[in-house]
Amino acid sequence: MRELRWGCMIALKDLRLELRSGSRLLAMIAFVVLSALLFSVSLNLAHLEVRGLVAGLVWLTTLFAVTAGAGRAFDTEENDGAFRHVLLTPVSRGAIFLGKTAANWVLVWFVTMLAFFALTTFMEIRSPGPLAWHGAVFLPGTIGLAVTGTFFGRVSNHSTLGDTLLPVLTFPLLVPVVFFGATATSRILLERPWLEISGPVRFLWAFAVGSAVAGTVLFRHVADE
Amino acid sequence: MNLRKARVAGLLLASVGVVAILVAHWMVVFWVPTEASMGVVQRIFYIHVPAAWTTFLAFGLVALASLAYLWLGDDRADAAAVAAAEGGLVFGAIMLTSGPLWARVAWGTYWTWEPRLTLTLLLWFTYLGYFLVRGSMADPRKGRRFAAVVAVFGSLNIPLIHVSVSWFRSLHPEAVVIKPEGPTLHPDMLATLLTSLGGFTLLFLGLFSLRYSVEHASRRLQAARFRESTGVSP
Repeated sequence: MRELRWGCMIALKDLRLELRSGSRLLAMIAFVVLSALLFSVSLNLAHLEVRGLVAGLVWLTTLFAVTAGAGRAFDTEENDGAFRHVLLTPVSRGAIFLGKTAANWVLVWFVTMLAFFALTTFMEIRSPGPLAWHGAVFLPGTIGLAVTGTFFGRVSNHSTLGDTLLPVLTFPLLVPVVFFGATATSRILLERPWLEISGPVRFLWAFAVGSAVAGTVLFRHVADE
Repeated sequence: MNLRKARVAGLLLASVGVVAILVAHWMVVFWVPTEASMGVVQRIFYIHVPAAWTTFLAFGLVALASLAYLWLGDDRADAAAVAAAEGGLVFGAIMLTSGPLWARVAWGTYWTWEPRLTLTLLLWFTYLGYFLVRGSMADPRKGRRFAAVVAVFGSLNIPLIHVSVSWFRSLHPEAVVIKPEGPTLHPDMLATLLTSLGGFTLLFLGLFSLRYSVEHASRRLQAARFRESTGVSP
């Protein structure tokens, strides 16, 4: 319970820092809106099955935004040496990881919602299906994205390859998430019954829980300086 | 095991493996019956399946050795992980090139985005990332630790690949050897497959042993040079 409280405190600290500077969030928002705009002007929608396409684009845009933004969860503290102080606190490495991931998840969730609304608006989808169902798909999907982005963001942070390494490490793991996420979203947009959506959602939950456990256990090996 | 023994064992295993693979090739070309529905192209099966088995054996070993390295911090476990990962990438490349050649005739296309194919390609890229992480850290010890973490994280994909054939609609055929009711393969086909499997496995274990001894020797040499130049142990 105490670990959870510390995790929450770290998450709140990160979110407060993010709201004060706003640079990472602003960059992610700009990236998502501009990508949605670019997709809608560059694709000839008259000859495409738009609903299936939008589902794929929402998840791809989120994936790229996570790679660009969420992978930088440690940058600010790393640059001014504050992360060393976080490590010196009597908080377990697992709790630090969960806190960082929770803060990242808030950003990823926000960005996913934005991508969804921007793309459905720009591509003129007037009835996107029940929003609660979309939320039920986005929740486990964004947890998986946030966990993987945060964990490998820490790994690539130390690499001389920097940002080039992050997609190489995260994409192979996140392709199933994007695939099942896009499948579920497109089925909701096509107004299919929940029975056809629950399978992909179960996979997304399995990935979210599995990666969160693996990340929490393994984080201590990548946390120390 | 000392390095000399590892080298001798490696040479022996690799030699027996090469002989077994040559015998398997002879069987594939001159002995095994031609499969009725796919014809002669099905003979790629005797290369593709053993290559796939060896790849998963290698990547499984990488995950286990990496876990041991993270837990015990023993350099020998890391050397074993590197040796297995290199083998996994090589045999994985054989699997990923022989598969499309077979698929072109069997399925009418070189590549299709079906679950097992896709997940296996992604696994191969994960272990490519393993080497990128190792090579891109300024501190080699950190590189080893981070790479071990990537290997353990990436290994979560292996059970998913195994069950993907039965979980998802897949073009990949169901298992024909390891089944509750026993193998359903023609006995001559089974004999050829097992010879090839044995050959690939022995070749991998031989190369693994040789590579492990080279890696271990090179680390000892580096440590000795460091000691000589600084007067302290690394």
